[in-house]
Amino acid sequence: MFNKILNINSSVTLPRSEFDTLLASLHELGYLTVGPRAQDESIVYAKIEKLDDLPLGYTSEQGPASFRLMAGRHNRYFDAIPGAQSWKQFLFPPRTHIFSADKLERWTIQPNQKQQPRYALIGVRACELASIEIQDRAFLRTDFRDPIYRARREQLFILAVNCLHPAGTCFCVSMETGPKVRGGYDLCLTELDDVFMIEIGSELGRDVLSRCQYEPASGFVQSAVEKGLERAVGEMGRALQLDDLPSLLTDNLELKHWDTVAKRCLSCGNCTQVCPTCFCWDVSDHTDLLAQKTSRERVWDSCFNPQYSYVFGGATRPNIRSRYRQWLTHKLGAWKEQYDTFGCTGCGRCITWCPEGIDLTEEIAALREEIKT
Amino acid sequence: MATNSEIVSALKSIPWFAELKPEHFKRVVEAATLRYVKAGEELFKEGNKEDCFYIVLEGRVALDIFVPHRGKVRIYTAESMDLIGWSSITPVVHSRTAGATVVQPGKLAAFNAEKIRQLCEEDHDFGYLLMRRIAHIISGRLMVTRLQLLDMFADPDSESSHV
Amino acid sequence: MIAMASNIAPHHAGHEDCLLQPDWAEVVKIVPEAEGVSTFWLKFTDPKIQERYHFAPGQFNMLYLPGYGEAAISMSSDPEAPDRLLGHTIRHVGNVTKGIARLKAGGVVGIRGPFGSSWPLDAVEGKDIVVACGGIGLPPLRPLIYHIMHNRSKFGKVTLLYGARTPKDLLYQNEYEIWKQADIDVNVTVDRGDDTWSGRVGVVPMWFYNLRVDPQKTAVMTCGPEIMIRFVIYEGLARRVPAERIFVSLERNMKCGQGSCGHCQIGPYFVCKDGPVFPFSALEKFFNVEEY
Repeated sequence: MFNKILNINSSVTLPRSEFDTLLASLHELGYLTVGPRAQDESIVYAKIEKLDDLPLGYTSEQGPASFRLMAGRHNRYFDAIPGAQSWKQFLFPPRTHIFSADKLERWTIQPNQKQQPRYALIGVRACELASIEIQDRAFLRTDFRDPIYRARREQLFILAVNCLHPAGTCFCVSMETGPKVRGGYDLCLTELDDVFMIEIGSELGRDVLSRCQYEPASGFVQSAVEKGLERAVGEMGRALQLDDLPSLLTDNLELKHWDTVAKRCLSCGNCTQVCPTCFCWDVSDHTDLLAQKTSRERVWDSCFNPQYSYVFGGATRPNIRSRYRQWLTHKLGAWKEQYDTFGCTGCGRCITWCPEGIDLTEEIAALREEIKT
Repeated sequence: MATNSEIVSALKSIPWFAELKPEHFKRVVEAATLRYVKAGEELFKEGNKEDCFYIVLEGRVALDIFVPHRGKVRIYTAESMDLIGWSSITPVVHSRTAGATVVQPGKLAAFNAEKIRQLCEEDHDFGYLLMRRIAHIISGRLMVTRLQLLDMFADPDSESSHV
Repeated sequence: MIAMASNIAPHHAGHEDCLLQPDWAEVVKIVPEAEGVSTFWLKFTDPKIQERYHFAPGQFNMLYLPGYGEAAISMSSDPEAPDRLLGHTIRHVGNVTKGIARLKAGGVVGIRGPFGSSWPLDAVEGKDIVVACGGIGLPPLRPLIYHIMHNRSKFGKVTLLYGARTPKDLLYQNEYEIWKQADIDVNVTVDRGDDTWSGRVGVVPMWFYNLRVDPQKTAVMTCGPEIMIRFVIYEGLARRVPAERIFVSLERNMKCGQGSCGHCQIGPYFVCKDGPVFPFSALEKFFNVEEY
């Protein structure tokens, strides 16, 4: 029997002590709860069982090529802006066994029949939710749906989180993806100093929440959340002007600036691995020495991989300059034509985790500058 | 031997000759003969010093260059309305740099290059038209040669291929 | 929870939702075409799949050799052939294609496909067609030639310009006469020959000089090394054939064949899904940008 105040779009407050009840309801429904943990001097996304598994009191200080996890700064659980990992590893796993093909009497294929896991993502920020929605467009098209992504996505539970304290490389405001979470979630949580405000986004969210002890969210709490979000808007680490994109990139493929950034870029591919929307993958075929027992895997790939563009005769992008250009003109250019959205959500990971500290907001500004002069 | 009227009608079939003024056309006819050729006939050898150029009217003529250890390499074929021996108009090397062999029988118009060069000197209007035409032919030939040079069908991994 | 779109049309023989999983096909016969090039004639081992598999000229299959990997190979056979065998003319140059070369009749490969866009047969009805190709660029156009032959009255003047490196690299030599008899003007040329070659020596783009092209009603279809394609396009545009009626088949690194893995992208297009056949007007903006 649902309490009257639990409607979709209504908000409640949940004391911290009740959060473990929420997680327990998810476990009972068969979900694997994953969320942020402080580990290896970073924030990773891993299995969480209880609220205290979350990075209480941590803040991440981020800048180009710099990530510092600072402890004991406050008493909130969800404040630490994420590290290199994103949620894409759960919908689009880095390595997946697809099938084995063995020559018994004849060649036979054994597809991977393993049931795809049922994940509940705990603590998905606005930029990350936008990234999932962008990947939905890439993996779930009308003409082809990736079966692995689809099976995981259909079963996905999302507990989103509003960001009240952005980090140094954040620019979700410029990309119009945050800091406020807008739709697409089952539950959306905002952490105030002593209590969680939770908005209900779906029937499933309502069901999970109904087993907890909650109160309707007061006007004071709702207004504190609004004020916090407004303040967060003003605390972005950087900004990116969008009005002349994508044509700024697609019309200017031969600027000198591509040479400048190419001198810095190592083509290491970090940006593509940490980026929550990058979706490129490769097929990896393995065999025993007799070529009788073989298998096929799908693995993450990167357009920075020198062999990514290989055709007979050589790679079509043999130089770092053309590969960096491909990445940036895809992310903020061609992507728009392909999927009717930019590929970037302003999470800032590529800036933080680039060993050279290449900042795409600055690169875009530099390209714009070169055109003006 | 071809009659004058046979030469005239053969030359009239060449499109760019239609641009010539009647007095120029007459001089060109005087410098021209028709030649009927059989398959296998050698028009000229590499190193020959003959001073004429040909326009293929019918048939096909191949240009070959002898390369030691490789034999005769066939580098070009000229079809109807194509011109071979153009370098006699602007001679640098005064001998043939390739051999020409007929591969499909036909008919050629042969031109005395010295008479044509003389006409160019006497009458610059004619000279301009001719040189313009030659420049056009050479530019097309250069494009073909460049693409042959790029060896675009070669195995990119093989050392014996392309620039 | 997000609602999933349910109007998925299966787009290839095989399994709509089985990622990267091929169907087995038997090698029925192997026809050597030139040095390092042969045509593998394949037939699905499952007759139901063989029955429902159809392809359009210009499309390709991913041929799978277990343990080695896959190669994207265009179909080079007649889609309407009564025996319905699938011809794949392969140049054996990489790991997978060299592995395929070691197969004999009766051997087994996997097939995923057909993938990609096809030569725009309906759009060019009534037009004069110039098919300009070179080397291994002829195989993806041969199904188009067969289509034209089966529907000859639907097209105007049809001219084939085909080039190869040397005479012994020319493919399908025993078919040129048959094509000529179907009222196709067949022009073959080689980059270089020897003194036993009495055919043409020159390059494909050069042959535009000899063509009378009516730009209002001509379409150009081209496939081959990118240099040759580039020059064919120059010649086509020089004769005022509109860029929308010059069709190009591109080659890029294909892995999934389904527009998902990203490898084959050029600009906003996935060559495996939006191509490989493109009107040049779609590519004009960036075709000459180096290493794009």
